[in-house]
Amino acid sequence: MRISFHGTLRIYALLILPLPLLIVVGYLLPTAGVLGWSLSLPQPGLQNYATILDTPSIHSVIWRTLRICLLTTAISVAIAYLIAFRWRFASARGRMLIELFVLLPFWLSMLIRAFAWLVLLRNDGLVNQSLLTLGLLDEPLALVRNELGALIGMVHFMVPYAVLPLLSSMGQVDDSLLRASSSLGAGRWETLRNVFFPLTLPGVAAAMATVFVFSLGCFVTPALLGGGKAAMLAESIYIQMFQLSNWGLGAALSIVLMAMVAVCAVVFVKLVGVGRFTGRQA
Amino acid sequence: MNMGRTLSNPATVATEPPQRRPRVNIARWLSMAAMWLAALFLLLPILVIVPLSFGDQRYLSFPDGAWSLRHYLTLLDGAWLSSILQSLGLAVVVGLLSTALSFLFATGIWLEARYRVALTLIVLLPMIVPQVVSAMSIYYLGASVKQLDSLIGVGFGHLMMALPYSLIAMLVAYSRLDSSLYKASRSLGAGLGSTIVQVLMPNVRGGLAGSFFMAFIMSWEEVVVTLFTSGLNVITLPKRIWDGLRYNLDPAIAAVSTLMVLITLVVLLVRMYRHDRNASPGG
Amino acid sequence: MKDKQHFIEDVAQIAQQRVEAGTLSRRSFNQLLMVIAAAAGMGPLRKAFADSGSVVVANWGGDAVPAFEKSFQAFNAAGMKLQVDGSGPTEGAVKTQVNSGAVRWDVCDGEMYSSYRLGKEGVLTPIDYSVVDKSLIGYGDVHEFGLANYSYSYVMGYDAKKFGKNPPKSWADFWDVKKYPGKRTLYKWMSANLECALLADGVTPDKLYPLDVDRALRKIEELMPHIVTHWSTGAECQQLLRDGEVSMAQMWHTRAQLVKQDTGGAIDWGFDNAIVAPSVWMVPKNNPAGAANAMKFIAFALRPETQAKLMEVYNMGPVDSKVNSLLSAELQKINPTAPDNLRKQVQMNNLWYADHYSDTLNRYLALIGG
Repeated sequence: MRISFHGTLRIYALLILPLPLLIVVGYLLPTAGVLGWSLSLPQPGLQNYATILDTPSIHSVIWRTLRICLLTTAISVAIAYLIAFRWRFASARGRMLIELFVLLPFWLSMLIRAFAWLVLLRNDGLVNQSLLTLGLLDEPLALVRNELGALIGMVHFMVPYAVLPLLSSMGQVDDSLLRASSSLGAGRWETLRNVFFPLTLPGVAAAMATVFVFSLGCFVTPALLGGGKAAMLAESIYIQMFQLSNWGLGAALSIVLMAMVAVCAVVFVKLVGVGRFTGRQA
Repeated sequence: MNMGRTLSNPATVATEPPQRRPRVNIARWLSMAAMWLAALFLLLPILVIVPLSFGDQRYLSFPDGAWSLRHYLTLLDGAWLSSILQSLGLAVVVGLLSTALSFLFATGIWLEARYRVALTLIVLLPMIVPQVVSAMSIYYLGASVKQLDSLIGVGFGHLMMALPYSLIAMLVAYSRLDSSLYKASRSLGAGLGSTIVQVLMPNVRGGLAGSFFMAFIMSWEEVVVTLFTSGLNVITLPKRIWDGLRYNLDPAIAAVSTLMVLITLVVLLVRMYRHDRNASPGG
Repeated sequence: MKDKQHFIEDVAQIAQQRVEAGTLSRRSFNQLLMVIAAAAGMGPLRKAFADSGSVVVANWGGDAVPAFEKSFQAFNAAGMKLQVDGSGPTEGAVKTQVNSGAVRWDVCDGEMYSSYRLGKEGVLTPIDYSVVDKSLIGYGDVHEFGLANYSYSYVMGYDAKKFGKNPPKSWADFWDVKKYPGKRTLYKWMSANLECALLADGVTPDKLYPLDVDRALRKIEELMPHIVTHWSTGAECQQLLRDGEVSMAQMWHTRAQLVKQDTGGAIDWGFDNAIVAPSVWMVPKNNPAGAANAMKFIAFALRPETQAKLMEVYNMGPVDSKVNSLLSAELQKINPTAPDNLRKQVQMNNLWYADHYSDTLNRYLALIGG
């Protein structure tokens, strides 16, 4: 787009710069200070990072966190895609119904949800009792107070957050494009795979990013539903920062967590290609 | 949530992707069934929480014969009421500010692409940094400007945490926007400002709504930073729920959740009813 | 209720109009202003720390807040107001406040070992023992930066219907899943767990400290298949017992007593082999109301009548053994520092925790994390 230099200046000054400036002053600088403690507390140097490298239990926490978060992301976005897809091709009334059950869970605080899942998934909880009565099981399944319970709780929390960007993205896909593809001879699956899905990729990326980052920061749900066996990195950071006031180690673990985000982002972008997410501009 | 409304015009609704072979219907029914299973999954906790809210004990329990409104009555007590109002007020204000700021930024980088990635990463930072770290850094900031345990201080924390999510919603909306809209508007003589307001804004309404919604929810639920920056004067709903976990979980939380679900249900059902009344054939 | 619904509908309406018109209409903008004003009226927009003449006591929230307010009510009369902040004075929180220069708490009800650690780091104000009468303290640590404020015990809560005839009397019983079948739960933040494990393994109380961590962790590992979960919230440990998910729980005596009351005695507990520990009053440096007022509060809280009140209201044991005679007979039975009860218990050594809590907790969590 040809914009005059004066116009460009205005755009930067009024539109582009205020928000990052706010973040830099109000967030980035103070946070850099806190993260810097990884190199300065309790003694200046790299000891905190050495501790992380040397402690096997930290490694297992990191791997477990990565595993649970990637699984949560994959499952949540898959379920969300299904829901959003059906929404896209539903009647106006059907859409409102779908919006209803996607929106309702938002009002439930993490704590009460976790408690509800405990009630549902316990050995004597609703789920096991129904399966036992129906004769599908001989013994109750261990659905909670383990990694599976943590996963269920996290997926339940994440699905609505994943649905939102997908609704937005799918809603923007014009029907005429799909009709055009069909009239050119493509079958239904081909249209979905080659036309519809690529057009929804920004939404998918947004959903995956949101869910992945959210789940990395999640520690209450896994703590309550995981029975102590699903300890995640975010909880370790909390423990170091508040319970033990080992700020240096806490900050170092935070850097590790952020590095995980960076690595996954790079991998993702390499796999999918950046071009898809930038707007089409001259 | 207005996505359905804005897109409920004949051109984009109701038709399945064009199909040629009848046996494709099985796939459709299967995906419908899967979706209803997913719906059940999403709603299952609510089915538990509603009866829990009518328990008659001082701890979270099922009614077991004796249904009681005691947990609802505690909500009428000034402390809970003020927490609910504080949370709502903060959520609305944070929602609006966050939407406005992310709209400006997303529009700007859509128009002018240089440094886009770096600047976006800066704005996404609060999302990437662990919340306990954010809590501490916002506390230090609040301490230096003497805005701790105040609505402004807590609100600022909420705003920082909400902005990345608002921005993502706006970016998704802008990713599909055709630049020819902008070019056409400018070539017809419209200035930058009016182009933004009258051409771009209406076309990213979905993004604006999503942006507001995400920021609202982020602020409404925000707990880690709030636990740190609030205390006596500001006690948001999440803080009230989380305080005292060492000892007990206040069953009033079940009552709050049930009420919120009920209100949302009513609002959305009213919306459906009004839509049905106004429905024209094919609309 | 009606207002709330109206309010929510307004919010929805606002979003809707904004979306349709692309701008806020004047009507909704005005409505919004009213909402903001209402919300603002609920809590001051200006900064507000404790006003002069007010002492802020920080504790762990929930029902402990009204408990403190009730027990320390009389302090208001001394010309100063008492405010209780239930935010939870963790070590990290106190340190952050002092280091950032914005301290919000005058007196903190914290963990005893934290007071040693924070004192070493220079984050606390030394207690002024010319104002605070330390001779009143019969049980619990008294040191430069903190003193015992109340006592509590880690006890065994058990299913009385199953084990009432032959109740568990020692931690060896807790570990004995054959004699006392069922699952167990322990406190996630590890205080007292190692002592329980060593006692179960046959270590005598006088040889308990310094704790043999390796031996304790091995004993914990032995019990792990039977540990349903480690509880971190009071609600959890109470619910696990009530719902029969565990037949025995290691828990605080205050919560055990509550569960006993809630279930009409179906859950019971006792002081046999229990671990008694003190909590601490500590004063952050540069506290808002000034060190002098903080000390005045502590002196007030240490008075026998006040300690008796706290026991009455919340079952938090006094730290003055003489207070026991001020209590009713029922309360004496559940008072951790009553001479009869104190005799049965093991006293926790907080100095050990001050030195070793950090490393040991990391090891413990790694062990139970699997």
